[in-house]
Amino acid sequence: MQLKNVIESPCGLRYMLDQLELQSGYARRWLLDAPLMTDAEEIAAAYDVLHRFNDFVAQVDKTYIDTLLFKLQGLKDIRTTIKNLHNQAVLDDIELFEIKHLAILATDVAGLMKQHGMEGVVDIPDLNEVITILDPDGMKIATFYIYDSYCAQLKDLRNQMRQNPEQQDDLLLQASELEEGVRKDLSRQLHPFAAAIGQAQLALAQIDVNMAKAMQMRQMGLCFPTVSNDGTSHYEAMFHPQVKAALAPRGRDFQPVDIAFGHNPTLITGANMGGKTVVLKTLTLCQYLFQFAFGIPAASARIAVKDEIYFCIGDEQSVEKGLSSFAAEMKNIDAVIKASRENRELLALIDEPARTTNPTEGAALVSALLQVLADKDMSLVMTTHYDIEPGNARCLRVKGFVNGEMDYQLVEVQDGEVPHEALNIAQSLGIDGEWINMARGLLENSPSA
Amino acid sequence: MLPFIDDILRYDSLSIVGLEKNTGKTECLKYVLDRLPVEAKRIAVTSIGIDGETVDQVTRTQKPEIVLRQGMYFGTSEMHYRQRRLVSELIDVSDESTSLGRVVTAKALTGGKILLSGPSSASSLRRWMGEMQQRFAIDLVVIDGALSRMSSASPAVSQSMILATGAAYSANMATLVSKTAHVVDLVNLDLTTEANIARLMPLEKGLWFIDKDGNLNGLDAVTSLSKDIHFDGMDDCRTLYVAGALVDGFLEKVRKNKTLKQVELVVRDFTKIFVTPQQFRLFLKAGGRISVLQKSKLIAVTVNPTSPSGYVLDSDTLCGRLSEAIQLPVYDLLKNNKQ
Repeated sequence: MQLKNVIESPCGLRYMLDQLELQSGYARRWLLDAPLMTDAEEIAAAYDVLHRFNDFVAQVDKTYIDTLLFKLQGLKDIRTTIKNLHNQAVLDDIELFEIKHLAILATDVAGLMKQHGMEGVVDIPDLNEVITILDPDGMKIATFYIYDSYCAQLKDLRNQMRQNPEQQDDLLLQASELEEGVRKDLSRQLHPFAAAIGQAQLALAQIDVNMAKAMQMRQMGLCFPTVSNDGTSHYEAMFHPQVKAALAPRGRDFQPVDIAFGHNPTLITGANMGGKTVVLKTLTLCQYLFQFAFGIPAASARIAVKDEIYFCIGDEQSVEKGLSSFAAEMKNIDAVIKASRENRELLALIDEPARTTNPTEGAALVSALLQVLADKDMSLVMTTHYDIEPGNARCLRVKGFVNGEMDYQLVEVQDGEVPHEALNIAQSLGIDGEWINMARGLLENSPSA
Repeated sequence: MLPFIDDILRYDSLSIVGLEKNTGKTECLKYVLDRLPVEAKRIAVTSIGIDGETVDQVTRTQKPEIVLRQGMYFGTSEMHYRQRRLVSELIDVSDESTSLGRVVTAKALTGGKILLSGPSSASSLRRWMGEMQQRFAIDLVVIDGALSRMSSASPAVSQSMILATGAAYSANMATLVSKTAHVVDLVNLDLTTEANIARLMPLEKGLWFIDKDGNLNGLDAVTSLSKDIHFDGMDDCRTLYVAGALVDGFLEKVRKNKTLKQVELVVRDFTKIFVTPQQFRLFLKAGGRISVLQKSKLIAVTVNPTSPSGYVLDSDTLCGRLSEAIQLPVYDLLKNNKQ
């Protein structure tokens, strides 16, 4: 599982990537190819590196940061060239230029990092020998051609060209053979450095990504999580950056939410418009951000590592596949059940399952789903409007309307009884009174009321 | 000595635009490059539009390579760089790819021949020009400016321009003069007076208007080619911006619409105008105003009196009549070169 496979998840991961100020296209590709980390130590190590960059961005002068970022803009994707070098091909002028450019860039960036005690945080191999090979005149600038000083005969031919332009074609032909000889020689000299050059390119991408993540943490107010070893996850004042950004221009604040969950299922009930779906979205987002080592949108977070993450959102339509919303949803949840039978740590976040079918069957499906998943070794967070028997599930409820305002906080309740606030909320939205009052009348006269 | 070299050096960029294939654009470029003071000025050359072949596929005539002088900078595709016939030092390889590979920038260390094929989109051309000026302190960027349907890059990003026209554009002298004069009118359109020019610049498609309070609004229709365009609710429109192509039907609708009498019609640049001279004149006669977001100073027009089929117009008469029609110097460079 790579970042690029889940980037379009409806949890909003794409937004986080779009808000990341990466300097090079290569760093973006490298990040998209990054695997979902499922090893706690690996995640902790990645956050250690990010920590160093976060301190660095906080402490170092802005002009210095800008210099580093400007340098990183010069990072190019030269994997094909490195592969050619590795395969002992004779490199052409453009490829030799690319290698020289990268070697100078890596050396410059390593120097900048060292100035602020950042050497060794990301391993940049020493490429001074590569530069020496490609810079015979010691000019220290990132340009390249087959220099005169590689071959005295070549120098002579070129001088003749300048003096006798009418013989240019003939002289160029002679020169091209000499140049090819130089290229062969240079490629042979550079071959032992292929792995180091590849490593330098990766290191620069890693620096670019970590700088961008660190700056994003400061801009969005994200936190460093700790790795939870007991299978439970805890979030304090968790928020969704994209929803928060969408609310800001309308003068509204995002109300942060506290939530914790473990291996017992968690059932979230609550009024319509109570932010249940946003809670699931944010939990999914945080889990991904954690396992790709980004800052976490919360005041604090302790998160358990999962092998697989399933986010089943109710209104997912698969029209292209010819499935109705119900069929698409059933198939998604089916995948969760099948995966839960294999011996892996899962996190499943299921939003209002079976919401589009009739309430009798719907409630039965949800109760059964809860029972099927309850004894599996997994974390389940599910929202519903149905009144169902919670079993061993922990029940959370959105506080709901308090004094005419929605309170999005979650409170623990003893049973899964769902709030009956739909009519009040509809009324507050200014929905037609005849309709709402008639519904109220019907409820009062029904036998269950 | 033909005077326009001095004129060129007053600007930081020049594009040379051929109105048709074989109107002498390449000869004009060669003429200019041969005469620029390469010892005193840093000069960079590139091309927009990708014409990969050494022989023109349409007319089977030879497409000459450009001869660069020692010290000139140039931008071309990877493929053409590998085929260069000069010694040059690479200074940059871009991330952007064209159909012939990435754009590479280099400095000629000897004189020699090169096929040019540079940035192929408007934004990448602008970026390339900016980099040349800022990073490499280039005094003058010269653009081989094909009016190609294949390329969104427009020569109008340059400060100055030379147009190449000739018998290949029309073999009838009267038609050639009037068709060329129409293009010259378009090139000479005024820059917009709209204060919100910065908001229009990034819009690359669609129809937009700015009301009297300076608010930017989009029209439902996507292009000026759409059949049903309504100007409802545009009573307080002061500027109407056509980001894409401007065509006859649309111009006529604007002319006949009472509420748009005082409106300034804005297009990106002259290459986006595809209206007939008749409609254009009718529009102006009715009091309409057209302006552009970016324009180049037209320095001169060159003519090639020979058509690819071999038909030859009289050079002196052509230069005289065209010059009178457009009130600008007109040169037959091939003829002048022989003298």
